[in-house]
Amino acid sequence: MHIDADITPAATTIQNKERKRGIPIANRIKTELIDTLRETVVKVIRQTGSLKDCRYVDVRLGIYEAKYAHAENGKAKGMGEDASLSFGIRMLAGEISAWGFYGQPVGGIEAGPKSFGKILDLGVRKAYARAIANANKKAELKPFASSLTEVTLAGTDARKDTLHSVFDEDPRSVPVKEILALCIKTSGAMHGIGKDVPYASIDVQTGIHRELFCSTEGACIDQAHALTQGTITVVAQRAGGVPEICHDYLGDLRGWEVLQGKNIYRQSLADFAWMRAHETLELTEAEFLPATNEPVVVVTNPHFNALLVHEIVGHPTEADRALKLETAYAGRSWLLRDLQDNELGKQIASSLVNAYSDPCVNGYGHYKYDAEGTPAKRVNLIENGVFREFMNGREHAAILKHRPNGSMRATESHDVPLVRMTNTVFANGNKSPAEILAEVKDGYFIVNHRIPSISESRENFRISAQKVYKIESGKITKLYRQGGITADSKDFLMNIDAVGNDFSIFPIPNCGKGQPMQTMRVGNGGPTLRSRAKLTGHRAG
Amino acid sequence: MIDTGMLRTCVRDGIDFLKKQKDVIDAEVFASWNEHITVRINYTSDIPCNGIHEPKSTQGCGIAVRVVFGSGKETKVGFGSSSNNITPGGVVEAFNKAKRNKIYDPDFVSLPAPVGKAVLENYHDPAVFEISDETIVHLGWQGLKGALGEYNQKRFRTSIIAGGDITIIKERMAIASTKGIDDFDESTILTTNITSMIERENVKGTGWNTSTHVSHFNPEEAGRESAERAIKTIGGERISSGTYDVIFGRQPVADLFANIVIPALSLSSVNATDTPFLGKLGQMVASELLTVYDDGAIKGAIGSKKISCEGIPTGRTDLIHNGFLVGFLANNYLSKKFASKVASFVPRNGFRFEKGKRSHTRQPGIFPTNIVIEGKEEVSGRSLLSKLSNGIYIGRIWYTYPMNGLAAGDFTSTIIADSYVVKGGEIVNPLRPNTVRINSNIMDIIRKIIAISNDKRQTIVWGSEEVVHTPEIAVQGVQLDNISDFIG
Repeated sequence: MHIDADITPAATTIQNKERKRGIPIANRIKTELIDTLRETVVKVIRQTGSLKDCRYVDVRLGIYEAKYAHAENGKAKGMGEDASLSFGIRMLAGEISAWGFYGQPVGGIEAGPKSFGKILDLGVRKAYARAIANANKKAELKPFASSLTEVTLAGTDARKDTLHSVFDEDPRSVPVKEILALCIKTSGAMHGIGKDVPYASIDVQTGIHRELFCSTEGACIDQAHALTQGTITVVAQRAGGVPEICHDYLGDLRGWEVLQGKNIYRQSLADFAWMRAHETLELTEAEFLPATNEPVVVVTNPHFNALLVHEIVGHPTEADRALKLETAYAGRSWLLRDLQDNELGKQIASSLVNAYSDPCVNGYGHYKYDAEGTPAKRVNLIENGVFREFMNGREHAAILKHRPNGSMRATESHDVPLVRMTNTVFANGNKSPAEILAEVKDGYFIVNHRIPSISESRENFRISAQKVYKIESGKITKLYRQGGITADSKDFLMNIDAVGNDFSIFPIPNCGKGQPMQTMRVGNGGPTLRSRAKLTGHRAG
Repeated sequence: MIDTGMLRTCVRDGIDFLKKQKDVIDAEVFASWNEHITVRINYTSDIPCNGIHEPKSTQGCGIAVRVVFGSGKETKVGFGSSSNNITPGGVVEAFNKAKRNKIYDPDFVSLPAPVGKAVLENYHDPAVFEISDETIVHLGWQGLKGALGEYNQKRFRTSIIAGGDITIIKERMAIASTKGIDDFDESTILTTNITSMIERENVKGTGWNTSTHVSHFNPEEAGRESAERAIKTIGGERISSGTYDVIFGRQPVADLFANIVIPALSLSSVNATDTPFLGKLGQMVASELLTVYDDGAIKGAIGSKKISCEGIPTGRTDLIHNGFLVGFLANNYLSKKFASKVASFVPRNGFRFEKGKRSHTRQPGIFPTNIVIEGKEEVSGRSLLSKLSNGIYIGRIWYTYPMNGLAAGDFTSTIIADSYVVKGGEIVNPLRPNTVRINSNIMDIIRKIIAISNDKRQTIVWGSEEVVHTPEIAVQGVQLDNISDFIG
């Protein structure tokens, strides 16, 4: 730890005065702080052994050190470099064990081992009080509600491991003024295309996230990753027309090199933004896509399929949703009505369809251990059209009598972990996209996802596309705007008759789930697919 | 726990410090302490469960400064924050960041100046600040008991799901600036939203309760209401795709406004040229029956605040009046950017909300408080129903999104609960949940309003910060599509 070196002379004077007066000065939070606080976490966890009926405790301590900038239409709107430190405690306690949780951000002033130890200890006491009160109430109501059960966690290896972040160019070494300059230049270039581009904005963040996980089972895992992301928004509008809006991301769990071309598009942020701006402008001259009342042949590209697999495969295969824990919020899953009546082992898609969730490969959903310390592994969700497995956490695995597969994550360390998608994708096929398109006599090519709306148990969807093209006799012809597709999920999956060999994973940074809602980054993707769906369009308002 | 006196001392001393710094033209210091408690309910009669899944909380405090620097020809503005450090050292840390990160933004005019006097005083519940862990857990179990008690009484004991939460938010903030702002705010919010189902019957009901004071908070009633509503919809039917006259109940009205209408009535959307209301100020944009305003100073309402996170007293901002577009929600920054000789926007809605809390890590954005929807000639719920000769009462919708961007107005969502088929002005049968998708355009919806009911209720939507004071609204000619045939 060191005192902030980047302070002004005036502030230094004030700080010196404060030191003399005994006013504490904040330490600058850096990811290295975890090395200093590790022993404190281990000690506090050890001390929970003296708490009556305390069955299990885990603590996550996380630091995110980041730089960011934002510009609109070539004008600076903000920049900064900051770090956040927070912790979360999960505890199982009571005769019929129940959960209690406490989480809190921590400031630099409290980041010394002694002060942090006190805060953590207070948090343990809060989590314990909640777990005990909860367990007592559970016991009180159990005679009238037999399904109330003590929490069981399926077994997992208690690992000790350290994983470092991977990058070519350390996000911490990039001057924040360079980040702002990139935002100003890129948004200015997009806006400068012409008067029909009234708005263009660029947001960039680059940083390192590091989290320590320790539990009473003996796990102690320290893993870090870099994160670099560029977000573009562009609005194009011809005089008096309906604006066309594009919102897209470039990102990966790596360093600054991501925005210089080491990404899925193999494009720099500036080139990517320029491409999207021109595509959006081109769309303003296209006709609106007419909606259809009957399904038509649709070919969906990998970018579109990223959101499709997210909504109709990823979410319904989350075990917490299937076990009804999200009934009031993100919804249930049509794949599990109850433990006896469900789709496990049944055909839910064409035999050409394979889908999996794999945190072990690169992408926004990459990690080696989940937020419960369970080793990450590939989860085969759909094999040859047959539904095989849910993504789960240890509690859900115990209920389902499955093995835990390491799918729990929390957005920040002070949030409660939930089952989240990892890199959840349609598997690659063996047909070229050109061949898939060439076989279509009369259909539509659905290009790049936009916005989803999915029904409560994920049984029906409507997803809009950035662009839709008519396909006639195997050739792409007319461009349409403001279109998309809608279908029942199972019908769409069962009607897939071609799977491309152009697999890609895209960054999805904003998946919302839980209460309070947590926004999570996941990787989604797949190859080109061909199926049947109704077309949706613009309704003049 | 940090008390309000400490926050006030911190921001006042902070301003004294910032005034003395070189090149500082103007400055603002904001300090807050918040706690967000959630008790999540999860009961499944046929699957092992916890009843209350987890009682949890996050809390934090901190300081934010905005500083205007003048050096050379350009004025620069910087933002910095310090977490969990309500001391002079925290102000120094935040100031260092602001100085390091200052930028020239040609759209920035000046920091907020004091305007008027706040209406609300002492509207929070001190008992909520002292609430114990045992009490919060108890409130969660009360919600569950309400649902299970109703099901048990009506002899439904299997295939039951009850989910939802108790949420308690405690907020304290203070703000001072070189422009003369020196004020504070304290608020307490209690909400519960409970969804329960008899899953084998494919029925779902919703109950909710809100209060600023714990003594008036009744999660048990919300649980009971959810079960009662689910039971009422047993035996639901499907409908064929087509255009229907509908009544949007309170939750759908809140959902449509929170996700589509209100975001489009913010200067943020004007700034991004992403709103169907762009260039329509003063024009008729909706049925003459519709009036919409934001009012952060309604006594007893859970969206109310005394002052914004920029220190401006809350109050009423008219948005749509008798169908005419009359205003946009604004913060200080965008109100000054868009001020002109013909239009001005009172910056009452500059808040730093993050997951329901007033966060020091954020610069003020634009957030609604209490959105109130009124009718020109309001009618009773019974009279509203009589407007539908052949239509649908829609009680709960889900996943409402502007499919082609806000400006296009297209939206879709699915009907998931609490809904009925109406014939000859009477409810004749429940509508089966998850079998209908709404495909429409929001401008069509607000233009085709034919009646608005006179009984409003504070309604919240998952993931939204605001509260909508919602009546029920009857609308002509809404496209409803039959979906999910494969689930039977």
